[in-house]
Amino acid sequence: MTMSDQTRQQAPVPETRAGTPGRELIRDRMQWLGSRYALLAVWLLMAVIYGFVTPHNFLRISTAQAIFGSQSPLLFLSISALCTFVVGEFDLSFAGVMGLAATIIPVLAGLHHMNIALACLIALVCCIGAGAVNAFFIVKLGVSSLIVTLGTASLYLGIAELLSNQNTVSLTNQHFAQVALHNLFGLPLSFWYGVVLSAGFAYLLKWTPIGRHIVFVGANREVARLAGINVNRVRAGSYIAASIVAALAGIMLIATVGGFDPTASPSYLLPALAAVFLGTAVVMPGQFNPLGTLIGIYFLETGIIGLQLLGYSGWVQDAFYGAGLVAAVTVAHLVRNRTRVA
Amino acid sequence: MADPAPAAGPARLSVRALTKTFGSARVLTDVELTVRPGEVHGLAGQNGSGKSTVIKIVTGLYTPDPGAEFEVDGQPLRLPVRWPEAHAAGISVVHQDLGLLDQLTVAENICIGGYPTTRLGRIDRHRRDELAARTLDRLGVPLAPGQLVGPLTAAQRAEVAIARAMRDHTPGSGLIILDESTRALSGADLDHVHQLLRRIAADGSSALMVSHSLPELIAVADRITVLRDGRVVGAGLPTAGLSEQDLARRMLGSTVEAVTPREEQPAGSDAPERARPAAVTVTGLTGPGLTEVSFSLAPGEILGVTGLPGSGYEQLPYLLTGAQPATGGQLVTRDGKVALARGSVAACLRAGVVLVPERRDRDGLAFELSVRDNISLPKLNRLGHPWFVARRWQQDDADAAVRTLGIRPSTPSILVKQLSGGNQQKVLLAKWLNAGPALMVLHEPTQAVDIGARTDILHALQRAADTGVAVLLVSSEPEDLMATCDRILVYGHQVGLRPARATTPEQLIEEIYATNEATAGSGI
Repeated sequence: MTMSDQTRQQAPVPETRAGTPGRELIRDRMQWLGSRYALLAVWLLMAVIYGFVTPHNFLRISTAQAIFGSQSPLLFLSISALCTFVVGEFDLSFAGVMGLAATIIPVLAGLHHMNIALACLIALVCCIGAGAVNAFFIVKLGVSSLIVTLGTASLYLGIAELLSNQNTVSLTNQHFAQVALHNLFGLPLSFWYGVVLSAGFAYLLKWTPIGRHIVFVGANREVARLAGINVNRVRAGSYIAASIVAALAGIMLIATVGGFDPTASPSYLLPALAAVFLGTAVVMPGQFNPLGTLIGIYFLETGIIGLQLLGYSGWVQDAFYGAGLVAAVTVAHLVRNRTRVA
Repeated sequence: MADPAPAAGPARLSVRALTKTFGSARVLTDVELTVRPGEVHGLAGQNGSGKSTVIKIVTGLYTPDPGAEFEVDGQPLRLPVRWPEAHAAGISVVHQDLGLLDQLTVAENICIGGYPTTRLGRIDRHRRDELAARTLDRLGVPLAPGQLVGPLTAAQRAEVAIARAMRDHTPGSGLIILDESTRALSGADLDHVHQLLRRIAADGSSALMVSHSLPELIAVADRITVLRDGRVVGAGLPTAGLSEQDLARRMLGSTVEAVTPREEQPAGSDAPERARPAAVTVTGLTGPGLTEVSFSLAPGEILGVTGLPGSGYEQLPYLLTGAQPATGGQLVTRDGKVALARGSVAACLRAGVVLVPERRDRDGLAFELSVRDNISLPKLNRLGHPWFVARRWQQDDADAAVRTLGIRPSTPSILVKQLSGGNQQKVLLAKWLNAGPALMVLHEPTQAVDIGARTDILHALQRAADTGVAVLLVSSEPEDLMATCDRILVYGHQVGLRPARATTPEQLIEEIYATNEATAGSGI
């Protein structure tokens, strides 16, 4: 988490590196790897344990397909949350925005028989509008982002319920479903979309000027401003980008599931947050990062699928995501205090 | 146990074989420290020498490596230090920011953490005020327990903080640790607090004092322990007969020759400077607190600006670089013209004007990002393709900066927050030098950095000027200004900027006062 304040304390400076160089180097290297990829080891350990406890159910291709094939709407949603988090903003409305898109598309294309592509486009435009509303209040008027997005989350939920008449809306269209579900290398296209989106976002942040600027706005707004970066444009842009990705999450959801209950959108909030925070414990410890989020999503899903195969269902998901969020934030906090080298 | 006779009984605090490693980095090696009863003991060293690590171990924040031995009045102290045990043994701390609550009274502030209570657990106000009054009385501090702390002077606030630390000590015993607590004080206020410390020591209590200021340590301490790179390089040196140079030499080791920056330009070089075309011309700059100033700089010139604290000259760096909106004024460089009333940071940067702000933590650097990331920030747009920023030049720039400015540790991938203050300041300087500016505006670049870093920073400015960068050094440090600048301007409230004629720091201080007493005239 690259939050800017409370950084005044000075960690002790390793002035000299003591000891024999070879050994030290290997140990440093191992520590570095450990701090970055410990979560992968935990993931593997979890898989091994499930494999031992329930080998006939867990160690199957279909289990892997269930883990990696089902989560792409949630991944898109997490990336949406990440859009605002990396610039040091805060957004609680992304699930509501996704719900808006996931309601508008079946209402227009299902109930009113509109062209699906056009329905998607209209949904996208509406979501961008929702993101612009957030940006207007938070960036232009300077209202607290926590309060604004808490409010708009409920507002967008209410609009979705209005549009759907508080019913579950559905859309069955084979061609549309194929856009997300077509099988490629054993996994649906929607999985690969998610991988491309995460990798693309990671590339943007690390290898492009605009991405580096975004990171600096997130790390220290004043420093970014004094480097000539238009901080408010980046902040407003982050809300717009978040709403676009949330709309894509809605499109993915409708394409893969075929229907949506608008009242369910708040239930997507916590899993997405859990994945985003868990992601700060891996790849780039202490920082919000897209590849970490990608890993976080499938880490959490592995845990849940395993528990479900053991016969725990229903309550497991809520408990696991909730506990996962607290554990993720704790781990990220501890990792951040320990990290020495970026 | 406590024997007030100096040096006769056991030491008040004795630390032996103290070593501390963080991962593979060893920050303290076999440190020994002995504080005698009834003495003020100074702890000196550069930023990053290990002073604060020692204090953090003594106060229980860090765990020392195995093998260390601590004794208080001859009794061994369990390690790692548990603060309640250390406190019971008579150790107390006055923190850097003093830790006072302005809206509470003197008595409440003194008794925080040890309120006397009634049997029902309610705070016993009567006994609280009595305890505070007794402590103040014992220290000879003329403050009333019922006074609010908010309106007190800086010296009185320090006295309240010291009284809190002394509250639980039996007279003639105990040790108070002052961790840079006098940093905010100067002049008469500082003398006042020093006298209080001397009185405390005369009563038989001890003080361990960490300070950046060598004159202060020499003036108030009986003995000084000097740390360099985590090792003791001077153990309990008596201050009688010790000079600042002696101390500085020990603190800095081999770099001592470089303490006084040399004069780059020969004296009287003003005239040819004027003949050269100006690199930067500022006309009629006006803003909140600053009235209409105009000046120009030649390429490669270092111009100093100073004035009385609060007179408004501190605004100059920010108004000039677009960081704060000006109400009027124009900036012309070879790269462009900026109307400062409508100017933005971006516009000033395009004109080649960069700002090294005073607050490196708030305005200067992203502490959670790496040294390399921070240094490459200003050049991202220029050198980065819109869809790709190469890693190579970033690494090269960072390596070069680390090498030329002597940034320690020399790993550009380390996070800025993990560096000491002086090294952070060097990174900040490197970041903006790297942008290749026409004019570099600096505000207090040597504030709260040690002598070694100060020398490095001032030398870096001179080197930059040698390559043709115009440097505007806005500072309240007469010695920095005299050592570095080709010309100095003094700002006065009514008179604007005036050239200084001083040839010594002392004369410059007099001119600053004189300029601000004058009421007529106009800027140059």
